[in-house]
Amino acid sequence: MAALRSTSTRALLASARPSSLRIAAAGPIRGFAQLADGAQQSNVAAGDQPAAKLKTFQIYRWNPDQPTEKPRMQSYTLDLNKTGPMVLDALIRIKNELDPTLTFRRSCREGICGSCAMNINGTNTLACLCRIPNEDSSEMKIYPLPHTYVVKDLVPDLTQFYKQYKSIKPYLQRDTPSPDGKEYRQTKEDRKKLDGLYECILCACCSTSCPSYWWNSEEYLGPAILLQSYRWIVDSRDERTAQRKDALNNSMSLYRCHTILNCTRTCPKGLNPGLAIAKIKKEMAFS
Amino acid sequence: MASIARSALLRQVATAGPVPRQVIASSSRALPVATFHTSARRNLLPPLPQKVEGTVNDPAPVPEPSPSHGSYHWTFDRLVAASLIPLTVTPFAAGSLNPTLDALLCATILIHSHTGFQSIIIDYVPTWRMPRVRKLFNWGLKAATAVVGLALYEFETTDVGLVETVKRVWTA
Repeated sequence: MAALRSTSTRALLASARPSSLRIAAAGPIRGFAQLADGAQQSNVAAGDQPAAKLKTFQIYRWNPDQPTEKPRMQSYTLDLNKTGPMVLDALIRIKNELDPTLTFRRSCREGICGSCAMNINGTNTLACLCRIPNEDSSEMKIYPLPHTYVVKDLVPDLTQFYKQYKSIKPYLQRDTPSPDGKEYRQTKEDRKKLDGLYECILCACCSTSCPSYWWNSEEYLGPAILLQSYRWIVDSRDERTAQRKDALNNSMSLYRCHTILNCTRTCPKGLNPGLAIAKIKKEMAFS
Repeated sequence: MASIARSALLRQVATAGPVPRQVIASSSRALPVATFHTSARRNLLPPLPQKVEGTVNDPAPVPEPSPSHGSYHWTFDRLVAASLIPLTVTPFAAGSLNPTLDALLCATILIHSHTGFQSIIIDYVPTWRMPRVRKLFNWGLKAATAVVGLALYEFETTDVGLVETVKRVWTA
């Protein structure tokens, strides 16, 4: 959906591009950005030529090659008419045209790989799923995921996150072979239990938004890993449910969740890690 | 919160040079003003440099199962919290005082606050980082709970009791 929309808007904008350049050249020179914007907007109202829609992005920069230098915010200004609708489009354009040293992770640009997770305007989200708000001209602030060790610029170190993911054994554990020697079947009801769990792409947006995970990431597993853990606990085909629950049955791994629910609020895929954790707690309480 | 993690690195860098001290000496008036306007920086437990246990491909260690700290503890906690509601409402609804009920309310509040404070200690005083401070806090909490328990016992047995106190303060 997003991809479709973005191509259509891009085609629309591409046709209007030369005129906007002409406006910028011929337009009156003003001292204040807002006044110039206002003048250009009135131009749009008068004629059919779009004005340059400038947007400033403040991006966190830190270079490990200069470890004594403080991290700083660097501003880049783009014309939104020439940029795709999502924040990732803007980042890629900044890297291509303004500053090739800007570093960030990205891969699929459609919210399925989870590489471009970052903190945009105070919310952890995927840059490829986050629209650039073009109704206001305020600056956008882009930081790496909160409370992570930064590798460079917007690239966080997720080593601990992946180690914890490995510790919950995220694979089917089963001893009895299927009756007909083919795939392990499950009922439609059992399959339905996995909906809302299997879609998790492990972008770490939820875990790094959780204050409890900020304080105790060494021992607490965090919402993303617990959601994955529940995905294997409810799987009807898995035969290690008891061991999986035992692994969580201590004061740190699971019970540092205090239902703050930042995880559910921030999830860019619209999943509910808070509910999954609550269900694990419920199952453990009544088992 | 990211700023905490990042500023720790900076602070190490900043304290390496003598520059900040000179700044403080030269701006003797600006500093008190600044400290008045901004709260002090309490550098409690700054994050340590990153340390990877084993290789990056090893799973994080899984702790031994201990239901008394895990599921039993959680269930007990919820039951205590839930039972506080009827215990608090009953004296108002019934309008009469029952010493047993009063004692039960006191005991439940005591347990509830004990587990609540315990949870705070587990959250903010990590064992892996400062085991001795954790032990100190745990014993401190136990001592505090014991003192409060004793005080409540004395209050219940020799004085008017909790509900009656609330009633008197309310109507005073």
